[in-house]
Amino acid sequence: MRRITAFHWSIVTAACLAMFLLSPLVLSRYLVFILNLLAIYALVSIGLNFVTGYTGQISVGHAGFLALGAYFTAIVATKAPYLPFYVILPMAGCFAGLIGFLLGIPILRLRGFYIAMATLAFGVVISQIALEWRGLTHGDEGFKVTSAFIGSFVFDSDKKLFYLVQPFAIVLILAAHNIVSTRVGRAFVAVRDSENVAQTLGINLSWSKTSAFALSAFYAGFAGGLFAYVVSHITPDSFSLTISIDFIAMIVIGGMGSILGSIIGAVILTGIQQLLGSLPEIQMLIFGVSLIIFMIFMPRGISGVISSLATATRAGKRLSSEQEAGEKGA
Amino acid sequence: MKMTWKRAVVGVFLFLVLFWIETSAAAEVGVTSDSVVVGCSNSFSGPLAFCGTEMVKHGIEIYFRQINEQGGINGRKLIMKSYDDAYDPTRAVANTKRLVEEDKVFCILEPQGSSPVAATLDLEKQKVPLLFPFQGLPLPGRTVFTATTSYPRDAEIVIDWLVKTKGFKRIGMIYQDDQYGSAYLDTALKKLKGTGMELAAQESVKRGALDLSAQMVKLKQADLDVLWIVLVPGPGAMVLKEAKKEGWTKTKLLATGPLTDEKFIILSAGEGEGVWGFSVWPDPVHSQKPGVVEYRNLLQKYVPGHEPNRYSIFGYFFAKLFVEGLKGTGKDVTRGKLVEALEGIKNWRNDIILPVSFSKENHAAQESGFMVEVRKNVFQPISGWQSEKDGKLVESPLGE
Repeated sequence: MRRITAFHWSIVTAACLAMFLLSPLVLSRYLVFILNLLAIYALVSIGLNFVTGYTGQISVGHAGFLALGAYFTAIVATKAPYLPFYVILPMAGCFAGLIGFLLGIPILRLRGFYIAMATLAFGVVISQIALEWRGLTHGDEGFKVTSAFIGSFVFDSDKKLFYLVQPFAIVLILAAHNIVSTRVGRAFVAVRDSENVAQTLGINLSWSKTSAFALSAFYAGFAGGLFAYVVSHITPDSFSLTISIDFIAMIVIGGMGSILGSIIGAVILTGIQQLLGSLPEIQMLIFGVSLIIFMIFMPRGISGVISSLATATRAGKRLSSEQEAGEKGA
Repeated sequence: MKMTWKRAVVGVFLFLVLFWIETSAAAEVGVTSDSVVVGCSNSFSGPLAFCGTEMVKHGIEIYFRQINEQGGINGRKLIMKSYDDAYDPTRAVANTKRLVEEDKVFCILEPQGSSPVAATLDLEKQKVPLLFPFQGLPLPGRTVFTATTSYPRDAEIVIDWLVKTKGFKRIGMIYQDDQYGSAYLDTALKKLKGTGMELAAQESVKRGALDLSAQMVKLKQADLDVLWIVLVPGPGAMVLKEAKKEGWTKTKLLATGPLTDEKFIILSAGEGEGVWGFSVWPDPVHSQKPGVVEYRNLLQKYVPGHEPNRYSIFGYFFAKLFVEGLKGTGKDVTRGKLVEALEGIKNWRNDIILPVSFSKENHAAQESGFMVEVRKNVFQPISGWQSEKDGKLVESPLGE
């Protein structure tokens, strides 16, 4: 039997990627819109995972960072219409990242439940500012977002937006995957596992925590910018506390401290909302029950289960190959 | 032989032309030979779940059920598809795209909420009719038809009634600091300016605030003839309680159209006696108008024991108006014909509200309401139907 090599895997990956990138040609506008939304939510949950899953600091206000990025993009795209999206979006991410960094400073003094309260308040305050600062945000009337463009090409449909959203999402997901394996990512995990041990290892706790908040906010802010272009009309109601809770549910279901888990969580939660949209009572029931089940029986989420299965399979293979080698030797 | 070949080509061509004519005539989205599919995104969970559920499940669906039992419209059954958006504009956009793209609905009927509806207004670009959304702002668009009296029109009528009919001089307002409150405040200021008056006092309230004592103290000092309450039921009820506590006796309290709701009376826990309001519907529980009686009978037939309310009557009434438009399209139903048929509706007598008329320029189903007073926890009419004509207040009999 021929072994599956890395070359085979890269062909399969390239084929899957090509199929994914060509999917708007066969999918309806609605499904393409959902794919765009999934990518955006996946980026927010990756951001939330940096702070909660990797660094162990809970945040209940991530819709606030999403709102910051969305409103920043909407306002800049209107006030400076000559700026292209590839300038505005990183700016939106950096703006949210800066606010995240500043929020991280006072949060250094807090622990557990109080961090949750502070971030919750942050989310509510941002939503309230968006509602009240009517001159800038148009309040609850909502902000009609100017379409993104590149030269004379305007991203004015869901299918066109797919080719704006997905490349950014893929790059940011790959970047996140790399970040968690660098010194920075390992420092986050050390802080989560034991602050005392992390300090002993020479990790700067304050720096790690604030940079986790900044990085997390950058991801959510960047996603917010994409969100503004995709939804095209934003109002404070788009960034309610419920949305922040949905993001927490995404990482609990998908898996804390896992990039794959963030994506799985975003897919599952958005999928449930869409599939059971005509059965709201069942939707709430499934949402609540599954959250309880995951927290009790699968605290590492679906990605944790996948990773355990993969480990068990690898261990099984190693055992059988050792047995084979033993039999041949005998 | 050559002639035969040519004839065959001509024959195939003619067949294709006829086939194209046939299919294009029957190919309107959401319409088949035996059904018309309509849909909406609405709140079935979240803060407005009660309104959404009543409107769709106990309003639109019961009326469609009756129509279908009678054989449908021109042999076509009416099918309603609805998805929950929990008052989240993003989910409203997703649901509406799903209805239009996947479910291929003929039109969007009675979605709910200013933000969710505003987020879906690009339907206009696709020529999908957006009919009778449950919200209070005037909406533009050739394929958009609005439902009950808009906030600015409600404000104009009430100001005229207070100033010209009742002769009040000192009018105050406590309003929610958002688009809803602004619509009333801006219209009131403009309308009063036209009569050489101004608001004697105005106080804003943040969304969700329940402690209104500071605002009420300031308003009491203004010595008002009437205080206009532009809030939602929770804070609105707090105004009544504060007024009672502070011993307001001289000042009349008045609720806006959206606040003139039985929930407001329930939350005020008996403190609502004597409060005025602006109602766009006859009392759904007590009115003896034939249209309201018919609605109650239908509700009892399909949902026995279910209490009538302002939301299910909204759903029922505008489903009925949609059907009136659908009948006007004839057998070949298209979106364009529906818009034209609705625009052709003149003086549609319905025995619930004033006769409805549309035109190319006017897509608002209702521009009127009547004043009510809470007596024994029920809104009792104290005026006929009030509407504006050429900037003047016109009163028509209530017909109870």
